[in-house]
Amino acid sequence: MKIGFIGLGIMGRAMALNLIKGGHEVTVWARRAESMQPLLEAGATGAGSAGEAAKGVELVISMVADAPDVAEVMRAVAQTAQPGLVAVDMSTIAPAAAQQIGKDLAAAGVDFIDAPVSGGEVGAIAGTLSIMAGGSEAGFARAKPAFECMGKNIIHVGESGAGQVTKAANQIVTGMGVLAVAEAMAFASKNGVDRSKVREALLGGFAYSKILENHGQRMLDRNFKPGFKSWMHEKDLNIVMQTAHELGLCLPGSAATAQMFNAMVGSGLGEEDSIAVLKLLERLSGQE
Amino acid sequence: MKIGFIGLGVMGRPMALHLHKAGHELWVWARRPEKIADFPATVCATPAELGRQCAVVFTVVTSSQDVETLALGDNSLSEGLAPDSVLIDCSTIAPESARHIAAELGKKGIHFLDAPVSGGAQGAIDATLAIMAGGDAAVLERVRPLLECLGKRIVHIGPNGAGQVAKACNQMIMVAAIEAVAEAMRLAQAAGVDCAKVKQALSGGSAASRVLDVMGERMVKRDFAAGIEARLHHKDFGLVLEAARKSGVPVPLTAAVSQQLNSLMAQGMGRDDTASLLRVLESG
Repeated sequence: MKIGFIGLGIMGRAMALNLIKGGHEVTVWARRAESMQPLLEAGATGAGSAGEAAKGVELVISMVADAPDVAEVMRAVAQTAQPGLVAVDMSTIAPAAAQQIGKDLAAAGVDFIDAPVSGGEVGAIAGTLSIMAGGSEAGFARAKPAFECMGKNIIHVGESGAGQVTKAANQIVTGMGVLAVAEAMAFASKNGVDRSKVREALLGGFAYSKILENHGQRMLDRNFKPGFKSWMHEKDLNIVMQTAHELGLCLPGSAATAQMFNAMVGSGLGEEDSIAVLKLLERLSGQE
Repeated sequence: MKIGFIGLGVMGRPMALHLHKAGHELWVWARRPEKIADFPATVCATPAELGRQCAVVFTVVTSSQDVETLALGDNSLSEGLAPDSVLIDCSTIAPESARHIAAELGKKGIHFLDAPVSGGAQGAIDATLAIMAGGDAAVLERVRPLLECLGKRIVHIGPNGAGQVAKACNQMIMVAAIEAVAEAMRLAQAAGVDCAKVKQALSGGSAASRVLDVMGERMVKRDFAAGIEARLHHKDFGLVLEAARKSGVPVPLTAAVSQQLNSLMAQGMGRDDTASLLRVLESG
């Protein structure tokens, strides 16, 4: 299938490479020309603009930073789209923003699917991302062969915006999960108990989670290299809190967690992995 | 002098009347002119027309977007106001928005003061508002006699936006205090203790505060009619959290209180007084 791919950051680059590996004909565009180079070497065609990347393709995918970027890219796509184009955005943006972009594109005859991902850089490289999609059944079906090159757990959740709602829910669970594990670690060591033993014991019981297993190990190793940068988690939790504000939704745990991530960004931990929330806790509890 | 006034709501109406009483000639504009038919003022067809008549204009509206539209949109004040005239915005909006409006008006030589107020409807009626101003100090001095018709404490905080920062700080302290009073009342009530007595005793001690006096009284009497509608505090908390986020400053208590306000909104109490935070506690 002919696919246009826009946005070649850590995630986008790996995802586009997997599309090429899967035998698709991929045209790429990125704001910084140098980030296109590895894709061109792998056999992709380079485009001069977002609009050009969408020209003559059946599917266009964007993987960029935030809602205004997605809106801008998709405006350009709408201008060059051939009839029946399916446009997929795999960035993490607010559900309301995704719905608005979907409406705008529908007016231009483009079927829009919001399909954010979970699984991080590791999942993007391995092609094992979780993909949570919102939009039409037909659009999802058209995009599915591409999704299968990038991910394993591919769910069509519901209508336009439903993918982003799911991603926001994912960030609630992972945000509070990381904080919970970090608090348990801080709790253990302030009590003079060996953190690694605590983790080991907890893994066998009801507190088991992937976060306890993977992130917990990285906390023990004090390996704060991202992974998933804490400023991005802060951005995602802000989407959660703004949506809660608009809807009148009481999310006390998310609110407290969002403030911890806010403090991380403010105190220079933004570029570190979100597990660096452990460092913040240690500072607050005089455990440095 | 001729003074323009836009936003004749719970706060704006008594404020405008004080200016009228002080001998000023009022020119007003409203989206729904029928709502101000009885007002002692000349009604203008557009904000631009109002701007052409007045050298000083007050706005007291709800959102950043409202103020931006009035100041900079189609048929806006910026189209009518002459160079060296002054727009005084007493609304509570984002500091960033205030700076943006000031910069845009500045291009035309129009002065802007962000001058949000605290003191509620009663403060507006009694002309005892606290006014926190951001903008050029000399411009503030020019209009200070007008502001003295509205409030007792008029403080120049700093450049444009600084007044709104001060207002955000005010809202953080005040609404958190309302929540604290609500939680104390709830605890007393649940323990079968007379809330009125608790409030009376506390008012003489270290926990004494204006919020305990005013909001505590509302809670004791279960008088939840607004005052200032809780939806406005909910709106303000959105602004505060956004500002905290942009500065990377953790505000854990504000964040917790904001969730109680979200719950208040969800339970349909947005048009009631913020003392309704007590009812949120009772619901959960």
